[in-house]
Amino acid sequence: MLKRLMLVTLAALTVGLAPALAHDDYRIIGTITRVTGTALDVKQTKDGKTIAMKTDSATLVTRDKKKVERAELKTGLHVVVDARGDSLEDLVVLEVRLVPPPARP
Amino acid sequence: MTSQPLPEIPDHPSLSTLARTTVIALVVAGVILVMAVLPAEYGIDPVGTGRRLGLTDIATPPLDPVEMTRSTGAALKPTTNGPIGEYPGQFKFDVYEVVLQPYEYVEYKYQLEQGASMVYSWTATAAVLQDFHGERAGGADDGAPAEESFDKRDRNAADGSFSAPFAGIHGWYWENVGGEPVTVRLTTSGFYSAAVEIRSDRTRTARTLRTLDTLMPVSSGSGSAGRP
Repeated sequence: MLKRLMLVTLAALTVGLAPALAHDDYRIIGTITRVTGTALDVKQTKDGKTIAMKTDSATLVTRDKKKVERAELKTGLHVVVDARGDSLEDLVVLEVRLVPPPARP
Repeated sequence: MTSQPLPEIPDHPSLSTLARTTVIALVVAGVILVMAVLPAEYGIDPVGTGRRLGLTDIATPPLDPVEMTRSTGAALKPTTNGPIGEYPGQFKFDVYEVVLQPYEYVEYKYQLEQGASMVYSWTATAAVLQDFHGERAGGADDGAPAEESFDKRDRNAADGSFSAPFAGIHGWYWENVGGEPVTVRLTTSGFYSAAVEIRSDRTRTARTLRTLDTLMPVSSGSGSAGRP
């Protein structure tokens, strides 16, 4: 009985974890419009759409491939964000790269 | 002691007899040549005897082609025949061009069965971070990873041939790491069944592949233009 219960629990966990493991990686490129301790909003360069994302303790902030303080994130800065999630509406930021703004055409 | 009579030596034929028999032999040989040899050997049948006697079939035996199983939508998996890989369908070709804005990336991949091959050439207007890799159909399997990289180096061009080590989608990841737009242009042909473009916002766009019917023949007059 106990063995069967363990098998059922394992199967349920597997089914439950599958969607969580099936996250995709996204790249958001644009300008920071809002930054807090747990959130980052970026207005995309390509279409002007603002993407709201979550940040956590593992979120990395870099400039020229070197780690910098999260306090460096400021509204108006141009960034390249790599985030993971199920959709653009549900993203957790993995890394924020501070980059020069693109040259105007 | 008795003497035996000498064998009778026939008279030599006269010149006119020799000439007549030679002409008759030549005529008979000519008739055989025209009526039998030419139709049977070369398919030349001026008097129609070869056709009537079935001799022209000897010169041009009917072909007995090997039956190829061809079906639209079948998995393009090769069957090995010595150095030849035979497929149950025609190869396709594709030209893909994309402009990568600063820091953008794109993936472009083809559906290939195990052992199926393609040839490719691509160029970029500036060096890009690239990863030529494959994703196993069905994900990780028996300890093999879900994805495998075949060539992961910064490049601005590559030309090659590829034979898929496993069934799945195989192709390139190109990333523009600079601040200027970069155009990547890829040309391929091969035994793939589908192509997909995956942008950095995870939008997946299936591409229409070109079939051989869409290839226009080059006219014979311009075939050698530009060559010495």
